[in-house]
Amino acid sequence: MAAERTLQQIVSQLKSNPSIPYAEASSLLSKAKIALLQLNALTPTPNTPSHILAVARDIHEYGALSSIRARNPDAFTRYVSQLQPFYELPSSSLQPNLESRNKVTGLYLLLLLTQGRYAEFHSELEALSTAEGGNSEGIEGDRYLGYPIKLERWLMEGSYDRVWKAMKKGEVPSEEYGVFSEILTSQIRSEIASSSERAYPSLPLSSTKSLLFLDSEGAVIDFARQRGWAIRDSNIYFPQAEAEDAEQKDISQMVIENTLGYARELETIV
Amino acid sequence: MPGKTPNGKEPVENGIRNNQDVDMTDEKSSLKGKGKKGVKEGEDMTVVVPPSKTTKQSSAPPPADTDGDVDMDDSDKVEDVEVKVDPVTQAISDVKSNFALLDRAVALFDARFSLRALRSISSLRKRLTPDILSQAIAESYPATTSSANVARHLLAAIGREDVTLGQQSSAEMEVDSEPKVPAKNGNKKEKEVKEIIPEIDIFLGILIQVHLFDSKQYQKGANFSKYLSDRIHALNRRTLDPLSAKVYFYYSLFCEQLAPLPPSPQSPIVAIRPTLLAALRTAVLRKDIDTQASVIVLLLRSYLLTSHISQADLLVSHTQFPENAANNQVARFLYYLGRIRAIQLRYTEAHEHLTAATRKAPASSCALGFAQTATKVLLVVELLMGDIPERATFRAATMEQALHPYFLLVQAVRVGNLEDFETTLAEHVDTFKRDGTYTLILRLRQNVIKTGIRMMSLSYSRISLRDICIRLHLGSEESAEYIVAKAIRDGVIEATLDREKGFMKSKEVGDVYATREPGEAFHDRIRACLALHDESVKVCDSTFMPGFFDCITNLSFPQAMRFPMNQHRLELKNAQEAREREREMAKEIQEGDLDDDDLGGDFEGM
Repeated sequence: MAAERTLQQIVSQLKSNPSIPYAEASSLLSKAKIALLQLNALTPTPNTPSHILAVARDIHEYGALSSIRARNPDAFTRYVSQLQPFYELPSSSLQPNLESRNKVTGLYLLLLLTQGRYAEFHSELEALSTAEGGNSEGIEGDRYLGYPIKLERWLMEGSYDRVWKAMKKGEVPSEEYGVFSEILTSQIRSEIASSSERAYPSLPLSSTKSLLFLDSEGAVIDFARQRGWAIRDSNIYFPQAEAEDAEQKDISQMVIENTLGYARELETIV
Repeated sequence: MPGKTPNGKEPVENGIRNNQDVDMTDEKSSLKGKGKKGVKEGEDMTVVVPPSKTTKQSSAPPPADTDGDVDMDDSDKVEDVEVKVDPVTQAISDVKSNFALLDRAVALFDARFSLRALRSISSLRKRLTPDILSQAIAESYPATTSSANVARHLLAAIGREDVTLGQQSSAEMEVDSEPKVPAKNGNKKEKEVKEIIPEIDIFLGILIQVHLFDSKQYQKGANFSKYLSDRIHALNRRTLDPLSAKVYFYYSLFCEQLAPLPPSPQSPIVAIRPTLLAALRTAVLRKDIDTQASVIVLLLRSYLLTSHISQADLLVSHTQFPENAANNQVARFLYYLGRIRAIQLRYTEAHEHLTAATRKAPASSCALGFAQTATKVLLVVELLMGDIPERATFRAATMEQALHPYFLLVQAVRVGNLEDFETTLAEHVDTFKRDGTYTLILRLRQNVIKTGIRMMSLSYSRISLRDICIRLHLGSEESAEYIVAKAIRDGVIEATLDREKGFMKSKEVGDVYATREPGEAFHDRIRACLALHDESVKVCDSTFMPGFFDCITNLSFPQAMRFPMNQHRLELKNAQEAREREREMAKEIQEGDLDDDDLGGDFEGM
């Protein structure tokens, strides 16, 4: 019973003061987890009472959100995996809290997206749409879940301006989602840069600024230096693909290799 | 058979069921000689070994008697017995005739006999009733021995607890049939009083499972299957392997039908996963290929039904699918693997697996559901890879109707018409969701856009971004610019962008023959031909068909390379005697290894 009381105390402490620093929050959370362990409720078992289950879930969710705010993706992933069994419980034993569930799941999707783990992203998505009974409008319509899904689609299409707009203040569903903006920005910037190299013969500095979503022309110049672009007369010239020659060599080498291979195969057949 | 209707209520399940139906009828034919199918099926029907004959067989098992001649001398007797006995008696004797096979399987330690017993299920299936089953049990089990307990369990499962065991052959049988039959039957009783082998228990158990499934008593079936699988787990007999694979198959099938139905995480199929995993572990340790293959497939199916993709992926990476598993299990495994890979965006692998799955699917019309389902996923994967599936796929009479929504989809993607794509998607959303391809199809949007851009770049030497934006229904000119830039980088089109004036200028289409493309295409084809040749040679090695070998060698080389090959063939023709010798040798081996050939037919009863 003591454990339960400690638990209630910690939860109320966490809830009343949402802006406690991460270090403090995490020490509280580990205490809470010990209490949960004593109650044998860190992972749901069939005979855990439902009010304890709800508390356990809340603690994990809180931990997930606070670790995202502290930019600790590993801890976040751990919390998400621990939450998974809670989310799979039937609503009869644990009344689902849709909003925070979707918030955490959405964040997890976004994390996968920014880390380039597309396979897992899509696996997760598949699970979500099955869980919703194939009602994918419901998922896309959701504020939290729809956000990473839309971002993924735009990134794949190449509508980077929409991604950019979606990351502005007011568009982001909650402050935790803003954490990823930085990563996403640099991600789309390098995507744009690599496609620009191929698509434009040259670009004026001024329009490059808007193209790359940079703040000033100085930032453009810095960026251009990083990527090794030449700047002449306030125009950016992209290094032409010098691979032509190497490619030519490749072709003859490839042909020789292939022909040798055929010869070998023929020999085994004849 | 439910699966014969194309596009049944639940395609995946449909495929499986169909597949399984097929296995039961023509497992032999699926591996070799499709032409023989008719004959084989006929044989299956006449392998109704009457009890009289088998009694002799089982009482004194002939050491090296090939089953081929057993069938031979039976067939004529079967004819006259069949005319006289009534269907119930016939069914009972059919059931019991399998016991002899199982007996022999144990005595000779040869799985082939168990497989034959399993194969007969398909012909028995429609005739099974609780009465027939209970009578068969009552007649086979004596009331006194320890196995009576088992028999009571079996009877309870079909609601015939009151039947007394150890009956002599039923009265009607004695009345209806020739006097010699019951006499021999009585004889058999005495023999079997000594021991009832577990294989017979399990075989009867499978029959009961089949019956319960066909009569839709899922809950009862699941309970009974649990009892059965526990029993199997307790027994450690290699001769049980093919049978236990079947038991697990039905166990999982029952659980799938129980409420809450699969997508729900509370579905019973989640609950039986530990059982299946334990069975898998045991099967691997015991090198029980049948159970191993079928349990892996069942687990994958179960994971995919609840969309536990990562778990399924882990299972695949931590287990090794047995190489010489039955063909149909391989087909299913490849299908599930293809689906997992498609979800994980590993389209090339998915394409490979799904193509193999569709090819391995039995060609007969019974497995149509499986072929259709696999083809559907395959089509979507092809589209996702940027390929346009062949038109002929949609023309096949058996596929046309089921694939129609996908046909519309392909059309939309082919011309890059985003509007058509959206309408097709909206119209057939239910079909796609039912097929489990919806999330994959959603990913196609970008392919449609890419094709659209490609079409435009081919048609116009210069087009403004605004026009692109309008044609493709993109959000804004800015989006259009980024999308086109990405398309250029990805090599979809050859063009440049002019930012100031806001247009896309297509590069002159160069001479394709100056690039490496023709060389690559040629290389691909040659490689495919060589691979085909290699595989065919392997087949030749195992089947010894010298003429066939010539055929492939000629076939597997493209026009350009044929001339020297033909010359070589001419030389060979001169050396006729060499070929003659080869053929003779092959014949000898073929005759000597007839048994081996039969084995090659493999167990595909699942």
